[in-house]
Amino acid sequence: MLLGIKELDAGYGDVQVLWGLNLKVEEKQIVALVGSNGAGKSTLLKVISGLMRPYRGQILFRGEDITRTPPKEIVRKGIVHVPEGRRLFPQMTVEENLVMGAFRRRKDKDIRPELARVYELFPRLKERRLQKAGSLSGGEQQMCAIARGLMSDPRLLIIDEMSLGLAPVIVDDLVEILKEINSRGTAILLVEQDVQLALSNSHYGYVVATGRLVMEGPSEELLQSKEIKEAYLGM
Amino acid sequence: MKHNALRSFFICGLILIGMALFPLFTNNFIIRFGTDILMFAIMASAWNIIGGYTGYASFGNVVFFGIGAYTTAVLMEKAGFGFALAYASSGLLAAVFAILVGLPVLRLRGHYFAIATLGVAEAMKALVQNLEITEGNSGIYLPMLDMSVRGQYYFFFYMMLATLVACLLTTYILLNAKFGYSLIAIREDEDAANSVGINTTYAKTMAFSLSALFTGFAGSIYAYQQAFIKPEPAFTVHTTVKMIVMAVFGGMGKLFGPLLGAFSIEVISEILSDHFLVAHALFFGTIVILAIVFTPKGIMDIITERKLNVSYFLENIRKHRV
Repeated sequence: MLLGIKELDAGYGDVQVLWGLNLKVEEKQIVALVGSNGAGKSTLLKVISGLMRPYRGQILFRGEDITRTPPKEIVRKGIVHVPEGRRLFPQMTVEENLVMGAFRRRKDKDIRPELARVYELFPRLKERRLQKAGSLSGGEQQMCAIARGLMSDPRLLIIDEMSLGLAPVIVDDLVEILKEINSRGTAILLVEQDVQLALSNSHYGYVVATGRLVMEGPSEELLQSKEIKEAYLGM
Repeated sequence: MKHNALRSFFICGLILIGMALFPLFTNNFIIRFGTDILMFAIMASAWNIIGGYTGYASFGNVVFFGIGAYTTAVLMEKAGFGFALAYASSGLLAAVFAILVGLPVLRLRGHYFAIATLGVAEAMKALVQNLEITEGNSGIYLPMLDMSVRGQYYFFFYMMLATLVACLLTTYILLNAKFGYSLIAIREDEDAANSVGINTTYAKTMAFSLSALFTGFAGSIYAYQQAFIKPEPAFTVHTTVKMIVMAVFGGMGKLFGPLLGAFSIEVISEILSDHFLVAHALFFGTIVILAIVFTPKGIMDIITERKLNVSYFLENIRKHRV
């Protein structure tokens, strides 16, 4: 097991958002976490990446308890979070953004192999490497955000709302790239509102609603289930 | 690229030599005026580290100036320290104070941070006004510098110049190191900086502390030069406003922006108060507003982009329309 979340309760002050959540990501898996607005997906991500402390519960990463580990250590341990809305450094160039992704690297380590690997996955970014990140199109910005995440060579890549505001064609391209990244050994936790997209491109899925886990199972089975079809796919 | 760097280095060297030699050929009044410009250039450049590069608009940087001034006064007058030791202690104390205050205050962002720093400066002023060791509102005298009058003018001018060079050099070195990138990343998007694993608390606090260090040095030299300081001018909010206006006018987040800003603002306000004794603040305000409308990135931008024409100004107005 790569990432394990056990009985997690979390929230903001008196307002509890997550109620006894359990979730697992195995090595080399793509796991989908789906649910509508306000289900608590973003809160869960904040807790995993150390930006927020939970009330109760435990987060294990490769067998180690990381529940109270600060964000910078979590990045070093191999969890990278590609935040919702890309969050690039707009005044820096594409390449500077990518280099920032390797920030936690030791000083003496050469980052050129990583840069080459990332450019191979995203040739578009190579073409635009000296352009300011703020001037990229939405799809290119998302590519840049994912590429920045890959620069620290993570074991687990968490992508929050990748498809938000992007044209379907571009989303298809991004999904292909994610599969390629996954086939090279990086596990991915895909957090999405687009249930169809997330479940048809993952191995396993979790459905959350109002902070509680309502369903889980292999993604194919979830896609076929009556509840999912009715509640999320409008069929 | 290499050629460019060499040329900038050469130009900087020439300007530095020019600044170092200029007091030898002029009168005391001009030297004193130059010293004031250098003092504000230090403070605006130091403000640039936290305000320009890190994106935290501190409205209380005068507190470091005041701490520097009062540390020098108290150490020299009450503890019998020499100036060298008092000068070093002033900067260090201001830097330590910035770390202690920065840890809680830098958790705030935007306007909240600005207001909190303003509050810190005002609180420190009230404290200094009421403490016995600072002699409250009546102010505190310092020992006089034992030198000829001309020698004194030289001494303070070169102290300020050396401090400014140290400040700019430190900023330059840091900017080209990993630390500089983490500051800019914080300015661009602090959450994203966190998510790539930057220790943002450490970076912000160090930036604040460095800003305080050099502002404290400036305060120390100022106190020795004045030989008498009081809480009101030492901690006045006008000084903070001046640092910010100079940094913005010259170009925030650019190495030489604040220096250029300090020079132009001081010269402009000197000319204005010469010609319009009563209404000079009005004209000054107008100039600041015009500068912000026409060159919001500061006059440094005009120089580096080599654009001094109508379309550049029109583009700025269009781009930054309210």
